[in-house]
Amino acid sequence: MIRLRRVLKYTAISLFAVPWILIPFWLLVVNSFKSPAEAADLSLALPEQWALMENYAAVFTKGHYLVGLRNSALVAVPTIVVVLLLGAMAAWGYARSTRRSFQVFFYITSLSILLPPAVIPTLFLLSTLHLDGSIAGYALMMMGTRMGLIVFLTTGFVRSIPVELEEAAAIDGAHRLRIFVSVMLPLLRPTLFVGGVLLVIQVWNDFFFALLLLKTSANATLPLTLFSFASASTTTLNWNLVFAHVIMTSLPLIVVYLVAQRRVLAGLTEGGVKG
Amino acid sequence: MVIAPAPRSAAGRTRRRAGWIWFALPSLVLVVLFFLVPFVLNLPFAFSSWSGYSNDIRFTGFANWILLWRSGTLSNAIIITLVYAIIAMVIQNVVALSLANALRETTRANAFFRSLFFLPVLISPLAAGYIWRAIVAPNGVLNDAIGVFVPGFDLAWLGDPVAALVTVAFVDAWKWSGIATLVYIAGLNSIPASLLEAAEIDGASPSQRFWRIVFPLLAPAFTFNVVTTLIGALSAYDIIASTTSGGPGVSTQTLNVAVQQQFGQSYFGTASTLSLTVTILVVLIALPLVAWLRRREIA
Repeated sequence: MIRLRRVLKYTAISLFAVPWILIPFWLLVVNSFKSPAEAADLSLALPEQWALMENYAAVFTKGHYLVGLRNSALVAVPTIVVVLLLGAMAAWGYARSTRRSFQVFFYITSLSILLPPAVIPTLFLLSTLHLDGSIAGYALMMMGTRMGLIVFLTTGFVRSIPVELEEAAAIDGAHRLRIFVSVMLPLLRPTLFVGGVLLVIQVWNDFFFALLLLKTSANATLPLTLFSFASASTTTLNWNLVFAHVIMTSLPLIVVYLVAQRRVLAGLTEGGVKG
Repeated sequence: MVIAPAPRSAAGRTRRRAGWIWFALPSLVLVVLFFLVPFVLNLPFAFSSWSGYSNDIRFTGFANWILLWRSGTLSNAIIITLVYAIIAMVIQNVVALSLANALRETTRANAFFRSLFFLPVLISPLAAGYIWRAIVAPNGVLNDAIGVFVPGFDLAWLGDPVAALVTVAFVDAWKWSGIATLVYIAGLNSIPASLLEAAEIDGASPSQRFWRIVFPLLAPAFTFNVVTTLIGALSAYDIIASTTSGGPGVSTQTLNVAVQQQFGQSYFGTASTLSLTVTILVVLIALPLVAWLRRREIA
């Protein structure tokens, strides 16, 4: 009986996975190998004529893939490092200090999780700072608006750690920065890992704010290069090329995920979000 | 050699209080400058005539709001945004809750499926839009499949006003339900097994056990998922950019699509007005919802 129920359950899950995962991803991959005419059929069949090299070469040449990859990395890497490090430092202070003002700072920071960034005034601010259209300006906006997520997650976690550990280190004469680096950061690693995963997904895939804040094609991140590559043909999409670009754009995250998937999933299910 | 005694009691406490500001300040500066200042500035900008055609920014009262209201843009975008958000939220939570129930136990098979169903989360919403635009194309796989049962079926999903809105909201749910699933699994696993065993011994049916025990105890995860999916969907833009661009007509023109269109024509004032509307919707929906769902958690 139990055996039968399990077989039925996994049959149902597998049947659901076919339209939900298998077909979308198969369609994406197989059509990125086809010639334009074949890909226009949007079928699930294997290509009769393989155009793998041409399609992927076009992603690099006409699709400006390497420019996008470089710019995406220039935004994502500093944003993630800065937000995780400064966010953890602030979270430690917010969790441990009893100052009233710190509670206000904590609430302001946490508000940025709920409230959408005000993109037009950000543009105004960046142009006042002569950073409009620049990668630096866009990255700063990302840092300021994603900080709340990390501060919120980390403050909650620090509050659950007994303070004795830090006090012991303080009695031993350790400077506060030293305590942060050698006591707090190691304890915070699992939380910061989960926060980092959520950050990467948001920052790497952002299109809306990149579209408004990055002006020139020289500064385009991967979603922007994908969009302009796809919009280049006005009448119909060249599906083979669009799909090849989609794959290349998503590849960095998927590769990282395949390597770290066990930790990603365990982290998100265990240490993630609690009331 | 004189060793200074470690500061004790009063002195130690003041030391514990001092110096924290240097830990908070760098993060706070970034938040204030790039989140709070623009957020506060959004208010005057929404009531101003800032455009790319003139250098001075003038306060114009409700002129932007009246203009957007008269043209029908504002009311249409609000309705479309709300409908989109609700459809996306419902589909996402139904799918995520079902998947979480099925994949609750930590077994090898479940780990594989959890990992599989997480894949769309990694794809950018823009890319997800392209993938589904291909699937729902008139000559696409979806119509082929329906055509097996209904010969000659060739609905242009993104060409019909209602079908287009449902489709783009569905893609939103497809892209994000992997995260909501994990949140629900965490919630399910925090429910003590003894409670469910006791109910089973007392003769409660599986559906009774779910609705009477599991669902109420799942409240924190439910609150989190409903609120985050709604808020996320209120800012919908990317998926629409790669599928319908707001069409057919204005039937998928969410507030952020309208923001981008005003922005594209260098009307920064009206773009701010629409962007402020998103914020107002978030505040009006999220805050009461959190308060209401939280009360349910305690009860």
